[in-house]
Amino acid sequence: MTRSNAATNTGHAYLELASLTKRYGQITVVDSLTLDVRKGEFLSLLGPSGCGKTTTLQMIGGFVEPTSGNIRLQDRDLVRTPPSKRGLGMVFQSYALFPHMTAAQNVAYGLEVRRVGRAECEERVARALDLVGLAKFGDRYPRRMSGGQQQRVALARALVIEPSILLLDEPLSNLDASLREEMQVELRRIQQVTGTTTILVTHDQNEAMALSDRIVVMRAGQVEQIGRPEQVYEHPQTDFVAQFLGKTNLVSASVRTVNGVKEIVIGDQSFACDTALPEGPVRIAIRPEKMRLASSGIPGIVKNRVFQGTLWLLEITSEHGTILVQQPNVGTPPPRIGSACHLDLDGRDIHTFGTGV
Amino acid sequence: MRGRNGFWALAFHTLFVIFVLAPIAVVCLIAFTPESYLAMPTNGFSLRWFEALLDNRDFVTSFQTSLMLGLLSASAAALVAIPASIAIVRYRFPGRLFLLTLCMSPLMIPSIVLGVAFLRYLSQIGLGSTMPGLILSHVIIILPFILRTVMNSFGSLDPALDNAAASLGSSPWTTFRRVTFPLIVPGVVSGWILAFITSFDEVTMTIFIASPGLTTLPVRLMLYIEDSIDPLVAAVSAVLIALAVLTMLIIDRLFGLDKILIGNIDSDKNS
Repeated sequence: MTRSNAATNTGHAYLELASLTKRYGQITVVDSLTLDVRKGEFLSLLGPSGCGKTTTLQMIGGFVEPTSGNIRLQDRDLVRTPPSKRGLGMVFQSYALFPHMTAAQNVAYGLEVRRVGRAECEERVARALDLVGLAKFGDRYPRRMSGGQQQRVALARALVIEPSILLLDEPLSNLDASLREEMQVELRRIQQVTGTTTILVTHDQNEAMALSDRIVVMRAGQVEQIGRPEQVYEHPQTDFVAQFLGKTNLVSASVRTVNGVKEIVIGDQSFACDTALPEGPVRIAIRPEKMRLASSGIPGIVKNRVFQGTLWLLEITSEHGTILVQQPNVGTPPPRIGSACHLDLDGRDIHTFGTGV
Repeated sequence: MRGRNGFWALAFHTLFVIFVLAPIAVVCLIAFTPESYLAMPTNGFSLRWFEALLDNRDFVTSFQTSLMLGLLSASAAALVAIPASIAIVRYRFPGRLFLLTLCMSPLMIPSIVLGVAFLRYLSQIGLGSTMPGLILSHVIIILPFILRTVMNSFGSLDPALDNAAASLGSSPWTTFRRVTFPLIVPGVVSGWILAFITSFDEVTMTIFIASPGLTTLPVRLMLYIEDSIDPLVAAVSAVLIALAVLTMLIIDRLFGLDKILIGNIDSDKNS
């Protein structure tokens, strides 16, 4: 599987971004970004809008010129290569299919400008359309196709030229929720079949987690954290990452040492925790699914409860603010709204951040 | 009462359409009169005024001049409008708005002022009373029409199309030839037609630049009317109307008139 390949293939960077910077006048959109992309991996650039992820992708694609810094693909300098000579495949947010060409003509375009022979061209177009499940739709014009089908044509068109890297710019954001999930599975399957190194730009954390070998969380033009999805989710290095990936509770607490063991103190409760931070006030993050209702612990009152099928989501009012708790649906309903309860948690699930900044 | 329009609305629209079309119909009918004055053909149809028109060398050469002038200046204006539109729509550069306003300014300047200015200017640069001089002045006054439609075509294109083509390995020229140009053809064609008609119709400015040896049809017609009014004028008009209708029919066959005028790209027509 690609995931394990990418994890073991740590030796040499395939695509290298070195102190990549883009400024528009006074505004720095991408701020000396350094990043290694490995061959065959599926990497996501994840962040809120305006974090520079799309600009980064466009600099790799060659549509935005970096203010400074370097992009190297297998030791080839990309910055000085025009986009048409980079050999990268790109899927645009708007798909950018050529409206006056059929699906097959769209896919064939990249091969025709490369002067691939007619027979080979036809064969590769057929294979690409087959790969994305549109074998019978070659004669259709884009506007006679659904959003999901257009998406697949765009993907086939980018993949048929056998790009060294596939760039995806929020490709699923124009699709409705159920189609988006279907396309996520498709995208992952296609990427694993072709083994194409893929960079995805998205603001959707679920999409990034479902698809990626590694996630790059970006904020204000800089890398906030890089890691495997479960790594980034379970061990966020900053409160921004903790908040951006999934739901999280941010609470003020403090660190103290008792008998050489560090403890996190929340109100009058303390939890053993292996934190690197010194004694004193800290902020902590804890995931809703890591909290549980118990007979003792942090006291609170159930403010609201939402049934989500497999889960109950509880909003608990406590002296530390509103705390979200997720409880698996095991058949017995949680306490009613307005009833008192206690929250317990495992100190190992606590992420601590300094109070600085 | 059925439909969305009430009786009075329908009556109004009918009267309005009749009001607009009636003069055209009347002119066409007069052209067939056997009389030697402007009259409705009440006692039989005659082609004598069309024969007279063919025998009139002045009108025939003026018609050829107008046709040549319209074709050349509309085509030259298209060659200017396409790159100008790309620059104005796609790029942000100092002087962009100035360039746009400059190209559109002939719409705002009275033609008579332009006529006087061109008369002086063209003879100064040695192009007075010449075909190149006429073409130059016509290109300038018809440019706004074609520039507008071509700019609209560019504006409605997804800018990502260019990037998509580039990422597929297409050079800028290939992208223009295979992607951009086919998509702006409706805008170019409708702009070209507008420009051609405007050039063919132009009197106010052209009357200053034309000379006895080089006169366009509308100018010739006007000079003729100054001396005499006879059904020959109606015959010329009828021929022009017939040509306009014929052109429209041909364009409709080739591209679809609604597509050109409304700008809807219907690619399935070729499939």
